[in-house]
Amino acid sequence: DSQKTCMMDGNRRKIHFAFRDGREMAEEYDMTTGGLLVRKWRKHREITGKNNSRSWIYEIGEEEVQKPVESEIVENLSNPICIRKDTSKSFQWRIRNLPYPMETYNVTTTDGKLITVRTTNRKYYKQLGIPDLERIGEVLETSRLTVAHANNTLIVSYGKSSNMLRLEKLIAAELSKIKASKDGDVECNQQ
Amino acid sequence: MDSMTSSLSTQKVQEVREVTRIERIGAHSHIRGLGLDDALEPRKVSQGMVGQEAARRAAGLILEMIKEGKIAGRAVLIAGQPGTGKTAIAMAMAQALGADTPFTAMAGSEIFSLEMSKTEALTQAFRKSIGVRIKEETEMIEGEVVEIQIDRPASGSGAKVGKLTLKTTDMETLYDLGQKMIESLTKEKVQAGDVITIDKASGKISRLGRSFTRARDYDAMGSQTRFVQCPDGELQKRKEVVHTVTLHEVDVINSRTQGFLALFSGETGEIKSEVREQINGKVGEWREEGKADIIPGVLFIDEVHMLDVECFSFLNRALETDLAPVLIMATNRGITRIRGTSYKSPHGIPIDLLDRLLIISTAPYTEAQLRHILTIRCEEEDVEMEDDALSVLTKIGQTTSLRYAIQLITVASLVAHKRKAAEVSIDDIKKVYSLFIDESRSSEFLKEYQHDFMFNEITEGVNGAGDVPMTS
Repeated sequence: DSQKTCMMDGNRRKIHFAFRDGREMAEEYDMTTGGLLVRKWRKHREITGKNNSRSWIYEIGEEEVQKPVESEIVENLSNPICIRKDTSKSFQWRIRNLPYPMETYNVTTTDGKLITVRTTNRKYYKQLGIPDLERIGEVLETSRLTVAHANNTLIVSYGKSSNMLRLEKLIAAELSKIKASKDGDVECNQQ
Repeated sequence: MDSMTSSLSTQKVQEVREVTRIERIGAHSHIRGLGLDDALEPRKVSQGMVGQEAARRAAGLILEMIKEGKIAGRAVLIAGQPGTGKTAIAMAMAQALGADTPFTAMAGSEIFSLEMSKTEALTQAFRKSIGVRIKEETEMIEGEVVEIQIDRPASGSGAKVGKLTLKTTDMETLYDLGQKMIESLTKEKVQAGDVITIDKASGKISRLGRSFTRARDYDAMGSQTRFVQCPDGELQKRKEVVHTVTLHEVDVINSRTQGFLALFSGETGEIKSEVREQINGKVGEWREEGKADIIPGVLFIDEVHMLDVECFSFLNRALETDLAPVLIMATNRGITRIRGTSYKSPHGIPIDLLDRLLIISTAPYTEAQLRHILTIRCEEEDVEMEDDALSVLTKIGQTTSLRYAIQLITVASLVAHKRKAAEVSIDDIKKVYSLFIDESRSSEFLKEYQHDFMFNEITEGVNGAGDVPMTS
């Protein structure tokens, strides 16, 4: 239900989806592991937005090159940073810059839709959603949730269900059928 | 010395109180709505409206149609004798529609301006009555300020460096601030304990109030301080913001560089039709993409007999476009000449336009209704009146006109105040009645003494309320 284009860039396979209602999505897969590195979304331009191009909202991964900051207020680098990067068996989030010991963390599921990460010293709070599961209508279960802490990083994992794994295989098979052009060259019509 | 300072301070306190109490009391400020119940039946006295049941019921039906969005591009005419509540009904409809629907009120003679042509004035009035509701998503940071730290560089040159710590009940984050943000924060006088929202995209700061937990820190605070609860959850959220603008504002902003300044100064000049077509196209696109909604509003033209035949032809056409608001017109003229021609027509409006209108007529008030209205106005203007004084005033209103009686209320209250009485009595009314002449007595007086006045042109047998006689 969307127009897909694919290209190779170094070690990554980039696929761009253009939906009919004007939204765009881009995914990047690692060629060696086959894992999904980046997924990002972009909506149609806001009305009162300035003339800069629309910015991407990253669902998985983050921007490769950090642009120099234009906005007037930015989070300080000492604050915890949360990045999602899945493994083949589970959805995973890594939250860096969290120096507190393991006991301060409280990770639960809320309403079956979100994972809430809290600290008992009220320093960090984040709600994590899994749009992949929302899209297929699956409810979150606390039993699949595991938490680990090492090197000032908190790792939250949610195991993928067999349903999810099956769907991923189907999507991967579908995407491998798209013809990839080499090195970012897209064919231009000479007309 | 002490008494001086204390009297000065009491003077100052009094001044502050008076300033806050001054509100303009207009002729229709007592109206809050149409006063209909759920079945759209008018109550006898409600929300400031008295009597005129048929007209109010009709207005209520039209209001329902407007709310359902089924009536864009229709027109309504409210016609009746002077002083029968036409403008009041229009004001009531405006109040009943609420702040969401754009309501533009104008008088017929406002069209005639040297700065712009009549059609331009009408088009602007039309476009002022159509609103565009724009929904947008922005990233907003909302939290309580824990600490603000702004450092000046020691070397004298270089920018200030600022850090801001914000918290909610669940988390706390440190932010680095850019130059403009530091200036905005100092301008808004943001302190620790304030609960603020910052729009990440535009950099706009708004203070919501002070946090309850900090209330103990200060003994005396300004009377304007609001206390709010510390917000919970995440600091940074994507929120949907709704702006409502009118099509006219969008036109003006796009008509020239720095167009938004023209909005404030009011000198919009003529806006080219290409600009308008572009805007129509863009708004159409936004509608399809679901970014914006069009809200057709109401344009009220009072004294519509002042418009001339060119304006009426324009109105005929304008009512048929897709983006047209509901047009409500009011007039008190009977069969008069249409301006710009020498033909006579009901209400001074050409018959082809009359055909497209839904006409509501208003009737003169009964004595009991007049009494009620005068009571409501007395309340509104804060005047106490004795019962027999009110009866006399009602009689005056019946013989002369409602407006004259309403105007006497304020004057009579001043006379009563001068003689140090709390209530207005019959003598006050009698005195004021003899001091200020109403319209019919004035015409009688002039007929008798016309020779003594300059430029006398009255011919016999003309009723005082007619138009200027036709010159051939």
